[in-house]
Amino acid sequence: MLLLILLPLLVLTLYLIVRPRPVIIPIKDSHVFITGGSSGIGLALAHQAAFEGARVSLLARSLKKLEEAKESIRISSGVEVSIFAADVRDFDAVQKAVKNAGPIDVLVVNQGIFVPQELEKQELDEIKFMIDVNLMGSFNVIKAALPLMKERKDRGPNSIALMSSQAGQVGIYGYTAYSASKFGLRGLAEALQQEVISDNIHVSLIYPPDTDTPGFEQENKTRPELTKILAASSGSMKADKVAKIALKGIRSGTFIVPCNLEGHALAIATAGLSPQRSFLMASVEVLCIGFLRIVALYFQWNWYKDIEKWHEMKKVSEN
Amino acid sequence: MLLALLLAPFLLLLLYFIVRPKPVTIPIKNRHVFITGGSSGIGLALAHKAVSEGARVSILARSLPKLEEAQKSIRLAHGVDVAIFAADVRDYDAVQRAVNDAGPIDVLVVNQGVFVPQALEKQGLDEIKFMIDVNLMGSFHVIKAALPSMKSRKDRRQPASIALVSSQAGQVGIYGYSAYSASKFGLRGLAEALQQEVISDNIYISLIFPPDTETPAFEEERKIRPELTDIITSSGGLLKADEVASKTLDGIKAGNFSIPLNLEGRMLTIATAGVSPQSSFLMAFLEVALASLARIVSLFFLWSAYRSVAKWHFQKKGA
Repeated sequence: MLLLILLPLLVLTLYLIVRPRPVIIPIKDSHVFITGGSSGIGLALAHQAAFEGARVSLLARSLKKLEEAKESIRISSGVEVSIFAADVRDFDAVQKAVKNAGPIDVLVVNQGIFVPQELEKQELDEIKFMIDVNLMGSFNVIKAALPLMKERKDRGPNSIALMSSQAGQVGIYGYTAYSASKFGLRGLAEALQQEVISDNIHVSLIYPPDTDTPGFEQENKTRPELTKILAASSGSMKADKVAKIALKGIRSGTFIVPCNLEGHALAIATAGLSPQRSFLMASVEVLCIGFLRIVALYFQWNWYKDIEKWHEMKKVSEN
Repeated sequence: MLLALLLAPFLLLLLYFIVRPKPVTIPIKNRHVFITGGSSGIGLALAHKAVSEGARVSILARSLPKLEEAQKSIRLAHGVDVAIFAADVRDYDAVQRAVNDAGPIDVLVVNQGVFVPQALEKQGLDEIKFMIDVNLMGSFHVIKAALPSMKSRKDRRQPASIALVSSQAGQVGIYGYSAYSASKFGLRGLAEALQQEVISDNIYISLIFPPDTETPAFEEERKIRPELTDIITSSGGLLKADEVASKTLDGIKAGNFSIPLNLEGRMLTIATAGVSPQSSFLMAFLEVALASLARIVSLFFLWSAYRSVAKWHFQKKGA
């Protein structure tokens, strides 16, 4: 009864106040520059973007893997992508690559390293590796590309998309360094969006779950047992599905782009002070966030029980 | 409305049973409190407060003269000598030496922080690196150095604490804070994961979220703050360092994961509760009950922030 009046009022209010306003960012005929583009999600994004008619550039460390990637895209869609070998930790190399690639319309900051390990056991150089590549590397890439993006002649909407992870929405056992680097991307993105909105540049954060990639295969080999147990609560996805959903999100300038159902729930629970362009999505957030906080607390209850149980079993097996 | 009133007791009961980690009280009196960045600002205020509550306090900072001044000021105020250690948190070996010399730590306050606000486009990479290195990587150094002795401490029945000083900029990213927010958001990823890793050692993680606080460092920051940063952050409030210290210690003693320090902070904390742990079932109830309102308020805040950004650019173009 009261709801019938309040609900439309809420939706109308949100329609009027959501900022930044909705936008459509074309992919076809635009220059899409993907870091970490030689494998995994980056390569899948390259395939998808090429298929949608974009001009694609890939940046990665290994020239050999880049050439394989280029070949695979030539075979599947007949499109030639440009390749640039550089380590994102080296700003000068990144800047050279960005200059050679030419003005960028859609910057996909996708490079990422993940080495799960208990902080107590993890080597500092592994921690530094993740922070340097995932976080500082992203600053390098954005700093290199931003001047040209800001000065571009055609003032149509542009995008800076950062590849995060569900580990960038919740920190779990074994992921202190990885989650630190991915949470950091959100702080970067929220601030950056306020800084570049006046240049018609739109920031997106992509939040995939565990994704079927060579990177993930490597990670799984060294994952602590408890991390495996806790992470099982979210599903896993194929890279090309993630890529399709990511590009869709980038195209609509969506700030937080979840990739599966659990991801949507996570995105609403962690909406925080993230911008939301869709008044419909904003309405869903407002209506569901209370319930999802209960769900989140339930998940933590479950996880802490699993952790307790695991430690008890270890103690028993040691005695 | 009636439905809500009927469901409330059931919700309270549910939350009472599921909140994790379980509530705890962490004593300060006669325990060893180790504070990084403890020679000035919030760190020094925390040292004063901890001493006044009967703790044995050690402070770590870069400058030996400032440490000696801090030591003197505490001696004058409370007649107690704190131990001082000069080290740069970016230097792991130096931190480890200091931690070993200080002796087993009960309450580790990771408080060092630098902040240089600037639009990413204008900010030097060395400044960005500075903030990531000190605020985020430095925190990893401090925790890694202290963790072994905290985990193997003799009296394991007494709960220990690792408290990280974040910022409201670690809850929402604002114009001019891309690097600072990145480093502070990162602390949350670290903390959420770390809590799951150390709960079995009876160690509790706290994240403190101060607003702008009257400290020497803040005075420096205000001089160079972009105008827009000032405009948008004015709603967060301004606190005195000793107020921050009081409320911080209260939160650490209650083993709270998220510690806001003023009303705006509490609203921010509820809005950004996400999947963070909550050991108080009453606070959990508030989080659930106020989540929707908090998201609406957040969207209004963003509407206002983006309007300020647009207005400022419009005025700049006019001039």
